[in-house]
Amino acid sequence: MSAIPPLRALIVDDEELARHLIREYLQGHADIEIVGECENGLDAVRQIGALAPDLVFLDIQMPRLTGLEVLELTGRRAGVIFTTAYDEHAIKAFELHAVDYLLKPFSKARFDDALARARALHAPASPAPALDALIARKTAPLERILIRDREQVHVIAIDQVECIEAQGDYLAIHADGKCHLKPQRISEIEEQLDGTRFLRVHRSFIISLAHLQAIERPGPDRHAARLRSGKRVPISRSGYEKLRTLV
Amino acid sequence: MHPILADARKLLWYVLAWLLAGIGIAALLRLTEQAEWSGALWFALPICLVWSFVALSSYYVCRSLPYSQRRWPVALGLFGGASLLSALAWLGLGEAWDSMGRLVSHDKPFVAMTSPGWVMYFAAGFVLYLLSLLAHDVLVAFESVQAAARREAESRVLARDAELQMLRTQINPHFLFNSLNSISALTGFDPAAAREMTIDLAQFFRRTLALAERERITLGEEVVLCEHFLAIEKRRFGAKLKTALRIAADATDCLLPPMTLQPLLENAIKHGIRQVDGGGTIAVDALVRDGWLHIAVVNPVAADEAPAGGHGVGLKNIRERLAVLYGARARIAWQRSETQFAIEINLPADKEVIE
Repeated sequence: MSAIPPLRALIVDDEELARHLIREYLQGHADIEIVGECENGLDAVRQIGALAPDLVFLDIQMPRLTGLEVLELTGRRAGVIFTTAYDEHAIKAFELHAVDYLLKPFSKARFDDALARARALHAPASPAPALDALIARKTAPLERILIRDREQVHVIAIDQVECIEAQGDYLAIHADGKCHLKPQRISEIEEQLDGTRFLRVHRSFIISLAHLQAIERPGPDRHAARLRSGKRVPISRSGYEKLRTLV
Repeated sequence: MHPILADARKLLWYVLAWLLAGIGIAALLRLTEQAEWSGALWFALPICLVWSFVALSSYYVCRSLPYSQRRWPVALGLFGGASLLSALAWLGLGEAWDSMGRLVSHDKPFVAMTSPGWVMYFAAGFVLYLLSLLAHDVLVAFESVQAAARREAESRVLARDAELQMLRTQINPHFLFNSLNSISALTGFDPAAAREMTIDLAQFFRRTLALAERERITLGEEVVLCEHFLAIEKRRFGAKLKTALRIAADATDCLLPPMTLQPLLENAIKHGIRQVDGGGTIAVDALVRDGWLHIAVVNPVAADEAPAGGHGVGLKNIRERLAVLYGARARIAWQRSETQFAIEINLPADKEVIE
């Protein structure tokens, strides 16, 4: 029998004592090797990308990015054990999607249980569809858009976004005179946005109503939106109907 | 709605009582030989049936004169006048009904009353309405006692809800469970620190519970509470969290609402220190000048962090609480620059009166 390579674990928590506790609980497990620790969400995104750990202990309430946002940005769906002190919404979602989580403070026995389950899941590299559903499910409308650009993460406040354009498999997000690309479908982001502030005016365009300056008529039966930045966005016939009821 | 009309059972008993009164009147007519039994009953019962509904009006007469603001001459006048009026109507009804008797029974009235008979009948009408007034008065008094008891119970429930709400907002579960997790971690390698942290946590909650009940406390008491809070947070965040508390000696015995400074520090950590790589220092300055207590809290913030929504809610709560207690005499203002967040509170520098 060949020796099984150790599981490589990353610990993400902004509190040193919380990380210390996980290190201590892991001491008894010879098959787990700690490859790194992160203090905040941005660092976690970088380290998950760079180290590709088998297992991530992920705190939910962290500065910069929450645990769920880290998963959204890294696309990681398996080998995650959430830790949280108190978050009613997250816990409800975990229960709903049968995702394992540790409630702080947790016992060694409870920790070992979660670890055993993670090991069993790791053997066949099975992606967890539960996490997909968990991340996609946002209760409140989107307040900021996260974009990963190689090693950098951009956080765009939602009121800075003037329009979103579908370009193949990507979204071009126009904000503050810049354009950011994010791999996402336009229908998906449309669902997450606040319907009173954003409107899908065209098959491939969503505009911010706060940035809308005028509706132009370049031709019979054709409409276009002029945004505050001067940018023009085509409006489809059904988009025009929706816009007329709103404005 | 009238309480008797609203309840079918009560109405039934009420009408039965009036029919009994009708039998009483018939018996009186018979005994004084004003009429035969059958005629007396034919006369009295329908009138009493009709009058039972007319007498319900006495409920509103009683209601118009609440027990608490009743003066006896007014009450006597009103009750007597109402009874007199109703007795006149009762007399009219009696005569009208009696003459109707001609139509149904062989061209003669139900009763052939003499004048003294009608006087007696009139007196009975007066007494019956007066009795009805008195009975309704008891009913109204009973109702108002019940309503008062209900109101009191309701206000007790409301007060307790408010208290619970206050405790819930003050005992931040996030803070509690994270602190317990830190203690759990410390027990493994620094039991003495774990013990200190447990004591700080206990002191913080004990003081929160004790102080929250009072309307105003001294700044010194608030600062002691904040020191326990900061001791806990320093264990959690380590070297990231530094504090500089500069409380002027004459400011410590100034009064302010409990939990005014502590939420500001909690915010400063949550939205400031935690978000900044490497942390920073929270500066608290309190001093008295020209009869005003000035408190300023300044903390670093992450430059690229969009202003978080949560910050505003906590501050608005404090602003509302201050407005309730001080009206326009309290001021709270905050401003955010690229790298720091500053809050200033100005209150009248009230001190406890020592007797």
